This record gives sequence, C-alpha cells and structure tokens, in this order.
Amino acid sequence: MDLTIEGLTHRYDAVEVLSDISLSIPSGRIVCIVGPSGCGKSTLLRMIGGLERPSAGRILQLGDPPADCLNPLTFVFQDFALLPWRSVAGNISLVLEDRAVSRKDRADRIADVLARTNLSDFANALPRQLSGGMKQRVAIARALAVNPAVMLMDEPLSALDAQTRELLMDDLVGLWTRTPFTAVYVTHNLSEAVRLGHKIVVLSRRPGRIREVVEIDTPLDQRDATDPDLARAQDHLWQLMREEAKAADAELAHG
Amino acid sequence: MTQFTRRNTLGLMAGAATLPMLGTPALANTKLVVGALPFTSHAASFVAYERGYFAEAGLDVEFKFFQAAQPMAVAIASGDADYAVTAISGGLISLAEKGATKVIGGALSEEKGIDGQKILASDAAFQAGLTSPAQLAGKKWAVTQAGSSFHYMGSKIAQAEGVEVAFTPLQKVGAIIGAMKSGQVDAWSIVPHIAKPLAGSGAVHIIGDVAVYIPDYQVTTVFTSATNAADERAKTEAFLAAFSKGADDFNAALVDKTAGEDAAEDMVKLIHKYVYTDREYEKAKPGIVNGAMRINAGAALNTTSVQDQLDWFKAEGLVKDSVTMDMLVDTSYVSTM
Amino acid sequence: MAEARQVPFRGGGFRPVQKRGVGLVVFVLLIAVVEWGTRAGWISSLTLPKPSDVARTLIGLWQSGLLMQHVLPSLSRLAVGSAMGVTAGIGIGVLIGLFSLARAGLVPLVAALFPIPKIALLPLFVIWFGIDEGSKYALIALGTFTPTVVATFGAVDNVDRTLIRMGQSFGLPWLSIVTKIVLPGALPGILSGLRISLSIGIILLVAAEMLGAQYGIGAYILEAGSLYDLERLFAGVVILSALGVTVSFLIGRVETRMLRWRS
Ligand SMILES: Nc1ncnc2c1ncn2[C@@H]1O[C@H](COP(=O)(O)OP(=O)(O)OP(=O)(O)O)[C@@H](O)[C@H]1O
Ligand SMILES: [Mg+2]
Repeated sequence: MDLTIEGLTHRYDAVEVLSDISLSIPSGRIVCIVGPSGCGKSTLLRMIGGLERPSAGRILQLGDPPADCLNPLTFVFQDFALLPWRSVAGNISLVLEDRAVSRKDRADRIADVLARTNLSDFANALPRQLSGGMKQRVAIARALAVNPAVMLMDEPLSALDAQTRELLMDDLVGLWTRTPFTAVYVTHNLSEAVRLGHKIVVLSRRPGRIREVVEIDTPLDQRDATDPDLARAQDHLWQLMREEAKAADAELAHG
Repeated sequence: MTQFTRRNTLGLMAGAATLPMLGTPALANTKLVVGALPFTSHAASFVAYERGYFAEAGLDVEFKFFQAAQPMAVAIASGDADYAVTAISGGLISLAEKGATKVIGGALSEEKGIDGQKILASDAAFQAGLTSPAQLAGKKWAVTQAGSSFHYMGSKIAQAEGVEVAFTPLQKVGAIIGAMKSGQVDAWSIVPHIAKPLAGSGAVHIIGDVAVYIPDYQVTTVFTSATNAADERAKTEAFLAAFSKGADDFNAALVDKTAGEDAAEDMVKLIHKYVYTDREYEKAKPGIVNGAMRINAGAALNTTSVQDQLDWFKAEGLVKDSVTMDMLVDTSYVSTM
Repeated sequence: MAEARQVPFRGGGFRPVQKRGVGLVVFVLLIAVVEWGTRAGWISSLTLPKPSDVARTLIGLWQSGLLMQHVLPSLSRLAVGSAMGVTAGIGIGVLIGLFSLARAGLVPLVAALFPIPKIALLPLFVIWFGIDEGSKYALIALGTFTPTVVATFGAVDNVDRTLIRMGQSFGLPWLSIVTKIVLPGALPGILSGLRISLSIGIILLVAAEMLGAQYGIGAYILEAGSLYDLERLFAGVVILSALGVTVSFLIGRVETRMLRWRS
C-alpha cells in the first residue's frame, strides 16, 4: 500500500503551519521528514495517521493494506506511550484484544514481535522496570504486532541517549532488512535521517513547505558512518537546514 | 443533717424577712451572671430582676441566655455563669460528681391540681391507636439526648405501664417538634405551654399527664458552681432570697391566681419581655399563661424526687454509681421536702 | 602554599526521611503526661479524663458487648452510605471527565453542593428518607459523593492524553479506551480521593447519628457529651480514630495491590 499526499495545507486559526505539501510514500520504503523546530512535522504526521484533519488537500491510500494487517497506519510515539499498569506483553496485547484475533494467534503475534525486538525475556516486566531504549523497543514491537501498512514514527529516538539511539538504529535497520516495512520517520537528527531514510524530505521553516527531497540509494544495511556519500548527503542537508533554522530563529526573535 | 436543716430554716426566714436590710451593706453591687432559657419556667429570675429584688439585695445581675440546658450547666462549671435553673440531667450530675456544680434549691414542680407536663402522641401514632400511655409498647419516644429529663420521664412512664419504648435522640426541642408533626417519632412529654398549642393545631394529641406517673416531680432545680455554694454563702443566700420573692409573685399571679386579674396581666407583660418576644403580646399571652407551673416557694427542694431521679440515672448506667446525694445537692440553703 | 580546607557540606535537610517509631513515642509520651497530670491533680477532672480510665471504659465496652452494639450499626451506616456516595461519585465523575455536556451541566451543580454543610440538611433528610437508616445513609452518601466526584473527574482529566491518542491511533473502540486506559489511569487519583471521602464519611457518622440513633459510635459520643462523661467521650473518640486509621490502612492496602505498577 502506497500513500500519496496532495496539496496539503493546514492552518491553526490564522497561523499557516503547512503549505501545499505533495509527497508520495512508496511501499517498503522509509521516508524521513526533517525540518526546523515548529515547521509542522508532527502536524503532518498526525494528518497522515488520521488523528487530525487538514485545512486543505488530501491524503490518499493507494491499494489495499496486506491481508493480515490490523491497523494500516500505526504510530510510534516519541515518549513511548506505554500503559504503566500493563506488562510488556500486556501492552502489546492491548492493541490486539479488540481485534478479531484468536487467543492463540494473539499469543503467537506477541511472542513473534517480542522475539523480533529481542524482548522475549521481558514479557512480564512492567514499563517502569525497563530502560528507555527497551521501552521504545516495546513500543516498536507493539506497532509491529498489528502488522501495519505504514509506521508513523515521530522522533522515536529523541528521548534516548546517544548510545542507545545508535543501538536502536541498528535494530531498526535489522528489522527492516529482514522484513521491509513502510515508514514515515520524523526527526531533526540528520545522521538518523541518512542512516534510515530512503527518501529525506526537507521542510522549510513555518509555514512548512517542501524545500527539497533527497534520495539515498545505498541499501540500509550497507550504510555506515564512514561512508563519504552519506557524509556528503548529511552535509548537504545541514546546509539546507541551517539557513532555515537561522531564519526561523531571527523570525522568532522579531516576534 | 439536723444542723443543716436548722440552718436552712433560719436562712430561709432571714431571706424572706430581713434580706434587704441584711444584704445591702454587705453585698453592695455584687456582680453576678444568671443563666436562663427564654421559657416561662425561668420566670422567677425575670421577675426578681424586673421588680428590683436583685438590686435590693445588692446584686448586679446580668442575664446570659442559652438555647438548651446542657450548655448552661457547662457554663456554670466553667464559671461563665453563677446561677441557673435547669432540669436535672445526666450532664448536671456528672459535673456535680466532678466537684464542679451543686444543686442548691428547687424551682419547677409537678403538683396535683396544677396543669403540668403533658404526654403527647403524634397524629400518625394516635390514629394508629396510641391513645393512652398504656399503648406505648415499642413506640419511639423522643428525647433531646440520652440522660435528659425527657429520657427520665419516658422511662418512668414506660416503667409504670410495664412496657418498653425506643428512645430516639433528636438533640433539640425544635427537631423533636418537627419529628412529632411529621410522625417520625410517636410520643414525647413536654411542658404545657408547648404541648397545648401543638395539640390545638391537631398535629399531636395529649394522651396523659406526667404528674400521674411522677407525682411531685422536681422538674427543675436551682444550681450553681461548687465554689459559689461553699465559699460565697452571702451572695448565694441573697440570690436565693431574691429569686424566691420573684417566684412568690409569679405563683400568686399565675399559678394560685390570688393576686387578681391586674396582677396577672402585669405578670404576663413582664414575662413577655423575655419569653415569646417574637410574637405580639396577644398571641404570646396564652402561651405564657398555659406554661405557668408552680415554682417552689422559698426555692424549697424536693429531695425525695431528686433522689429518685439520681437513682434512675444510676440504674440506667448514665452516671457513675459512686455519685451520692451529697455530691449533687447542698441542702444547707433551702428547706427540703 | 595555600591552606587545604574541606569543602563544607551544605546540602542537608528538606528531605523527609522515614523515622520508625517516633510517632508512637510522641503518642505514648503525651498519654503518659496526661495520666501523670490527672493523677497528680494539676489537670482537673473537668479538663481531661485519666487515660487509664478511658482504657478501662474501652475494656468495659468490649466485655459488655456494647462495643459491637455501637460499632456495628456505625460500620454498616458508613459502608452503605459511602458505597452509595462513592459509586455515584465515581460514575458521575467519569461522565464529567469524558463528556463536555456532562461537564458543563454538572460541574456547577457539584460546586454548589460541595460547600453545603451536610449536617444542615439532616432534618430535611429525615423528612425525605425517614428517621431510621435512610436519612443516615443519605447524609453519608451525599457527604462522600461530592469529594469523590471532584477527585474522579480531576483524575480523569489528568490521565496522560498521549496514552489516549495512542489508543485511538491503534483503532481501539471507545469503550476499550475508557476501560483499559482512562479508568486505570485515573485510579490513583480516585483512590486518593477515596481517602478524603471516607474520612468525611467518618466525620459525618457523628452528625448522622444525631437524629434518631440509639446505637452507634456517633450516638455514643453525643450521649457522653451530653452526660459530660469525659471517659466515654474520649473512649468514643478513640474508637472513631481507630476506625479512621483502619480505613486509611485498608485503602493503603488496596493502593499497594492495585497500583503496584507505580514506582
Ligand atoms: N493544536 C494546535 N493548535 C495551535 N497551534 C498548534 C497546534 N499544534 C501545533 N501548533 C503549532 O503549529 C506549529 C507546528 O507544530 P508541530 O508540532 O507540527 O511542529 P514540529 O515541526 O513537530 O516541531 P518540533 O520539531 O518542535 O517537534 C507550531 O508553531 C505549533 O506551535
Ligand atoms: Mg514535533
């Protein structure tokens, strides 16, 4: 299932937040969205996920989600959004309980996603017993459990420390390599964008419009920090971002 | 005991005859606070004040008004009031037992031939067959609190009829009247000036007289702090003498009716300054006249009745068994019956 | 060379540390002082009763079976009344928390009910619900209802919105969001509200037993007060305190059981 965004514009009262965004999200690819703070990245993601209605424009699903997909558009939140009173398995079970899934199928799915995120030993742990990285892995496992057509990830690693972030990125790459998934990945961390993105969309400062779309063809599992192409791409992104960020800063200062 | 009695008589004679002479020099402008409820039963103090008997005795009296007898007893114990008149209650006995208060004289009495306290049935209970105290078995008898005079009366009446009643505490007389009218409780006993208007309105029915069950019931007594009784003889005697003069006027005007129509009218007017002040005189008058029960001459105290009440409180476990008449009563001031 | 000095520590205090048994020592000390004072006479028997007499009164109450005669009616009044008040309070509180219409309509009503001294309504309740148990249940129910409502809708409001968004983003049905996310999330707030509600229920017990109660701890205390019997008065107060401590302990147990997920 592909997604297409056509002429999407959004304003909160008089403030225009997003302006004329058109974008396609092809199946099996990771699309990263970067841009200065406040440019509307999260808003855009919420609209893609149907949690908010755009002022103008539309979001189209092309084709049907896979047959065993329970929740085509599935979020992974920055702050994990785990229920503190449910165990790891219980948190995953939560999103399956109201579906037409047999008890056995549910248990299988839970076991499967826990195995894929290396959490099998922690099925009965409570969220407060887990580290930040593990919590986010639970959140990712939960998203995987519904077999989403598109994963919508809003800065999923930004609440984590640098080392954990690195490890989790490796995990994501591993997950994708084994079974490619579709994702829209919002971040303001450019090295994340070049590590994970097949396509990197740079938004301008508010009102966010598409400044440039950078495509990186290197397969995900072959990307590493020393790759000069990646370094160049990151540098290029940074130049784009810097201008926008500077301008955004100056605008804020002038009210 | 004989010695006490002789002194009583002497004191009484002195009080009645020679007090103005005797009191004035010794007690010039002695300030004292008298606790009172705005009821006709407290009229003796009002008369003594209005007719200058307190002033003649050298007492500069100030009234402190209460809404219930209970806080008045506590005020005497704490020294916020010096003398007061109230029914004998468990609270009063407990305070006496702690050496705080003493009964020094008698006031209101039940007396054959004089209209006294009435036994009431709520209309609902009356319609259901409660037409005499004999049918009280299992009924709800209203009391303000356990150990109040209402409790005593209800218990004595039930005992005499050989029945059990359920005592229902309602804290305030106002609440009892409300509960009687709405039929939430079945029976109660109360002074005539409250009983008669209630019965007149049809909301309750008078089904008997308390005096039949508790003859010569000493309903209220004069009491003071133990300190006053022991150490302030002159002041206490002066108070009792003036109080007695007030009582004599009151009895003559409204109870024995020997003083004539005009005196009765004057008396009602005087009392109206304190009682039913929220009603016009014409409306207040029947209430005051109906409420006139004898206030003992010379504040004489019916110790037989007091003893009976004390025994009842002990038997009910409301006060300690160790309380004796001597703790409760100082009989050295007035004559006893 | 410069003199070497240790950096002075200045970070102490302002941090509650658990000190076991201190509360008990203060308690025992206080009682000992009162016992001494009443025995020696510098506390008059009008001021305070002898603690040992209070203890004897309590033992007497226990041995004569009167204790249960007073405690059981009170407990059943507290249980029935607060069960009604708390159930209704949680129900209405959740409605207010979930529906804007309920909020707009009921919050002002609850705000108007809250400050009414419930005791003032007792005579009215006697007319409405009868002088027997009905009016007592009603008084305690109303008294526990309002704080429960306020605590409940506050707790629902405080449920992490991102958790609710998460539920919606996974397509959970409305009822599941309420029962699996909103209610468990509001539980800590509801339980701490329950502490306050039940304490108010205990306070109202005395008020409820003012009218028409022959037995009950409240009636016992009122009777002792009117008899100026300080031993019984204090014995009654001790029973009420014990009831308060027990209720608080039970809620604490429920909290540790149901809120084990909190750190
Ligand atoms: N519900 C709302 N009502 C009004 N304004 C909003 C609302 N949500 C977001 N905004 C405004 O819209 C703009 C875009 O917000 P958004 O959260 O999408 O930015 P962002 O790109 O995700 O920023 P960041 O990088 O800080 O997460 C911001 O200026 C924000 O203040
Ligand atoms: Mg954002």
